[in-house]
Amino acid sequence: MMPFAAEISIRNRRRRPLQLWIPLALLWILLLPVVALLLPVFLIACLIGDVPPLHAVAVLWKILNSLDDTEFSVDKPEFSFSVHIY
Amino acid sequence: MNEDRRRILELLAQGKITADEAERLISALEKEPASGSPNQGSDSSPRAKPKPKYLRVLVESQEGAAPDNPSLVNVRVPMQLLRAGVKLVSLIPVQARDHVNGALRENGVPFDLSQIKPENLEEIVDQLEDLTVDVDQKNEKVKVRVFCE
Repeated sequence: MMPFAAEISIRNRRRRPLQLWIPLALLWILLLPVVALLLPVFLIACLIGDVPPLHAVAVLWKILNSLDDTEFSVDKPEFSFSVHIY
Repeated sequence: MNEDRRRILELLAQGKITADEAERLISALEKEPASGSPNQGSDSSPRAKPKPKYLRVLVESQEGAAPDNPSLVNVRVPMQLLRAGVKLVSLIPVQARDHVNGALRENGVPFDLSQIKPENLEEIVDQLEDLTVDVDQKNEKVKVRVFCE
């Protein structure tokens, strides 16, 4: 399933904790025109690199769909940072 | 399994096999569940582990860590993302792949990138029970744990 949200959390002793919810589902919709614009560039790059474009799209699509439930966090006594993709 | 073992011991007691042969048979029986197929009898089913869903990397401080939050770095990557990532190799242009392979060979790593397949990842995961690396830094000792869950 495509990731639909990301939670970014930053905690610092000196500043207020910051927690961001990014609605990725909305971001995908906003990015659609950019993707359409970049499509010819992508196709040319595939032709130059001798990579089948459909195969490239399939691999990139699979990676995008596998991103959900990825978690990364760094914790230090004075600072902590975490990213969780849903 | 116990039945087989008892039979071997009976054969040994009856003098039909030597102690050496009995030892070899018992060690072969012990190795069987690890190398056998998943469709083995009911004896091996409790040992069958579920397929791991995540690769986890934990960096933990061994000294001076807060008891409620001992991990410094916590990375959880879905296995499906790693599998998809392996397929990225197929997107590397042939010229670039040859260039990378050549550079690897020059540095004593005779490795062909085109040979990397998702099956290789499964083999690594099968062997990766729980890898722990101790890192000694100037001020603190850090433990890096890599495991699948």
